[in-house]
Amino acid sequence: MAKYGLLVFPERCTGCTACNIACASHNQLGLDVSYNRLEFLEKGTYPYVKMEILPVQCQHCDNAPCVSVCPTQATYKREDGIVEIDADKCIGCKYCMAACPYEARQLNEKRVPEKCRWCPEMLEKGEQPACSATCMNEVRLFGDLEDPNSQLNKELAKHEVYQLLEAKGTKPSIFYVKK
Amino acid sequence: MTNLSRRTFLKASATVVAAGSVPAYFGFSEFKKAATEESVKKVPTFCHGCTSYCGIIAHVKNERVWKVEGHPIHLKSSGRICARSHGMAAYLYSKDRVTGPMKRVGEGKFEPISWNQAFKEIGEKLDSIVKQYTGNSVLWLEHGTHRKSYVDRLFDTIGSPNFTTQYSTCFNAKTNAWLQMTGTSLNGDHKNAKYMIFEGRNFAGGIIPNGMNHITHAKENGAKLIVIDPRFSEIAKIADEWIPIKPGTDLAFRLAMANVLISENLYNKTFVQQFVDGFSEFKRMNMGYSPEWAEPITGVNADKIREIARDFAKYAPQAFIEPGWHGLHSHYVNSTQTSQMGIILNALVGNFYEKGGLMPSASLQMGHLDLPAIENMPEKGARIDGAGVTGKYRTVEPSRGIAHITPLLVQQGLAKAVFICNYNPLRTAPDPEEQKKIKDAELVVSINIDWNETSYYAADYILPEHYYLERLEHPQAVSGHISHDNPQLALRQPVIKPMYDTKNTLDMLKGIADAMGHKDLYPFTIEQEVEAAIAPLGITFEQLKKAGTLEFPATVKPGFPIKKGKPALPTLTGKIQFSADLFKIDGKLGIPVWVPPLVEPDPKNDHEFRLIHGKQPWHSHAMTTNIEQLMKLSEKYQGTFMWLNASRARKLGIKTGDTVTVRSNIAKKKVQVKVTELLHPEAAWLPSTYGGFSPKNRTANGIGVNFNDFIPIMVDPLSGSTMAQEVVVTVAKEGN
Ligand code: SF4
Ligand code: SF4
Ligand code: SF4
Repeated sequence: MAKYGLLVFPERCTGCTACNIACASHNQLGLDVSYNRLEFLEKGTYPYVKMEILPVQCQHCDNAPCVSVCPTQATYKREDGIVEIDADKCIGCKYCMAACPYEARQLNEKRVPEKCRWCPEMLEKGEQPACSATCMNEVRLFGDLEDPNSQLNKELAKHEVYQLLEAKGTKPSIFYVKK
Repeated sequence: MTNLSRRTFLKASATVVAAGSVPAYFGFSEFKKAATEESVKKVPTFCHGCTSYCGIIAHVKNERVWKVEGHPIHLKSSGRICARSHGMAAYLYSKDRVTGPMKRVGEGKFEPISWNQAFKEIGEKLDSIVKQYTGNSVLWLEHGTHRKSYVDRLFDTIGSPNFTTQYSTCFNAKTNAWLQMTGTSLNGDHKNAKYMIFEGRNFAGGIIPNGMNHITHAKENGAKLIVIDPRFSEIAKIADEWIPIKPGTDLAFRLAMANVLISENLYNKTFVQQFVDGFSEFKRMNMGYSPEWAEPITGVNADKIREIARDFAKYAPQAFIEPGWHGLHSHYVNSTQTSQMGIILNALVGNFYEKGGLMPSASLQMGHLDLPAIENMPEKGARIDGAGVTGKYRTVEPSRGIAHITPLLVQQGLAKAVFICNYNPLRTAPDPEEQKKIKDAELVVSINIDWNETSYYAADYILPEHYYLERLEHPQAVSGHISHDNPQLALRQPVIKPMYDTKNTLDMLKGIADAMGHKDLYPFTIEQEVEAAIAPLGITFEQLKKAGTLEFPATVKPGFPIKKGKPALPTLTGKIQFSADLFKIDGKLGIPVWVPPLVEPDPKNDHEFRLIHGKQPWHSHAMTTNIEQLMKLSEKYQGTFMWLNASRARKLGIKTGDTVTVRSNIAKKKVQVKVTELLHPEAAWLPSTYGGFSPKNRTANGIGVNFNDFIPIMVDPLSGSTMAQEVVVTVAKEGN
């Protein structure tokens, strides 16, 4: 069984937003829903400035607050690490939205709190999900954490990484490369 | 642990999202239910979001285009595409497409007519205009040259020299300088470079996906990237250094770089001796341009200029100054000289035809149809816009023309019939109120897919083209902007059947020519054109259709072109001409010397700024403004805001989100502001996308403002461009 993970190189990102819209068209999202976002931050004072960009999406937490608060198990953790929603079981209580510290969830037109799916149909074929495949700067790298030969593990070994809100104990499946 | 202050970082741009009703779209679960069982048809073609024309693969489910991906081998995309490409594909289903031929019946009022009626009326009108005023009164304006071979046959028949591209609003200075000084044009070899200077050039905004990918890899291999730009552009984000230069002074920076290279003996003497003509004159005239001279002009420290020049020489020939495009090459009175200096600096370090330096495009010998010659071809007069004409704009490339003076030509009675194809001068050329006057021509035909401003305000007839995903075109040799050894051929082909009563431009021209009495002017189909084009290449139409993009054996090798032991560039001397013959006018030597910008904001007036602009990474100037999916990104990231430098904004009491009034001599508009540290204090920066004003392009209409609103129609004396950044505006908080 694979266990999927994602490595992000924020330093390479130039904020083109292709990952946002590639995801939206792959998943045929409504105009007001997006599964991933970019956070921009200016640092310093002119002319000594730089810009940081952080691509953010559902972290597919191993210890997912959204899973534990869901009263109907509509949100559940799959064996391959993906946190999935069964829209038919969702009663629209929005507990998961409130519980998620990453603001990863958004209501869709049917009032279901949706989020990044990690596109298992792509991962299972060994392909990159739409957000990663479209990226000209190769900012995202999805892969199998269990497979020692995966490109993901090779890159993980090369870089120092951090996770978002580690202190919350959510155990995200996304690793960000430190610069 | 992250070293970012994460909570604030995460909160910094958290978006509030409202649920809306979205009839055309459906959530993934529904989509899955409806379509997973359906098989996916994958059709390769190429994008139409910008002139990179990236190869894409369209995925079609249930006869509906589901999504597009990058074509894995296409030079420009190499499997990766930008946001625009995804948005362009979705625009196929826009509610604002023109669904059949239209005829104007009043202001903002159109009635649908049949193609036959359209051809008959346009053909007869055009014929009477040609008879009354000669063919020289007929103008064709197009974004690019894609349909030129078709237009040429009609123009040869009626005697018009006036095929005009939008290039005067985009990059004319660059192509003009390269043509005059080298007779060719080269591309940066980003993949193999060790040192790259991007000055007024932004591959991450005006995106070439594979170009960025090359840079990403070069950087992984240790290459250095220097970005010189008044604005911290998207590519500055990944640069080793951002040098915020005072806008309009890049020429001084470049003159001083050359001065360092020469005075410190850092230039490549062997290369210059062998392959440069006019070096000693250049050296003499460049003597005064020391870094100390340039410092107060550019605002860049003299030591920094020295450092850049020395590093450039150190890494050469695996180093280049990006040959450039829109950013620097249409927007200042000194753009042509700036562009000349780009060639000179690259030549001084001897990087021409060197791996990691500048390399030529791979070429492909395509075939073409043997068409019957046009009988009784009338004599063509001089171009009415004066491009290439002695006494008018002699130094402007006549093959490109001066698009943005069309309303003046109409007012002077020189342009009587104007065809505007896949182009929207009312929004993308200076002074929209003036551009609207194009409508006063006796016949105005707009060939376009949506209700752009030009169609809505100026056209007598709108002829809707098939969308790019619905049409076949003659195949395209892929080249430009990035170095490649292997030639490629790409095909644009229909991905789905046309949704509406639309046509391709060839069939429109056939219809119009027929109605004028020029029967059989186009005795061929596009299919036959494709067959003829690929005949010498040893491939079949089927193969090309299936592959979408095909690659051929390498034609490019490093090394300066030599014939019979002599340099063989297509110039007078076969060498790189530091003095451009054509520019030797008004007693000048054709060698770049300092030319100050045309206008300057008054440094003592806190309200005055130079208005500059640039491409936003998810929009293609005004071409994509009406795409809902892309406008959602603008909303998400405050994309319509005008940037102001933080210290300047503070003086005026302006905060991010405030609405300000921007005034120039010709316009007064309101816009929201982003206050930022990422911009030169003298500049106000606008993304080039917004300010749509066609009521029938409902997504774009009324959103934001456009730089063209503020600039009068001007013509750069050497290259004919708009000089779109030679404008001073005043900015004041609303109510002040
Ligand atoms: S596609 Fe890549 S470069 Fe573009 S915004 Fe997304 S992560 Fe950044
Ligand atoms: S990021 Fe949020 S939505 Fe995703 S698994 Fe973690 S808690 Fe759940
Ligand atoms: S993994 Fe799939 S759902 Fe998640 S952001 Fe990427 S494309 Fe969207």
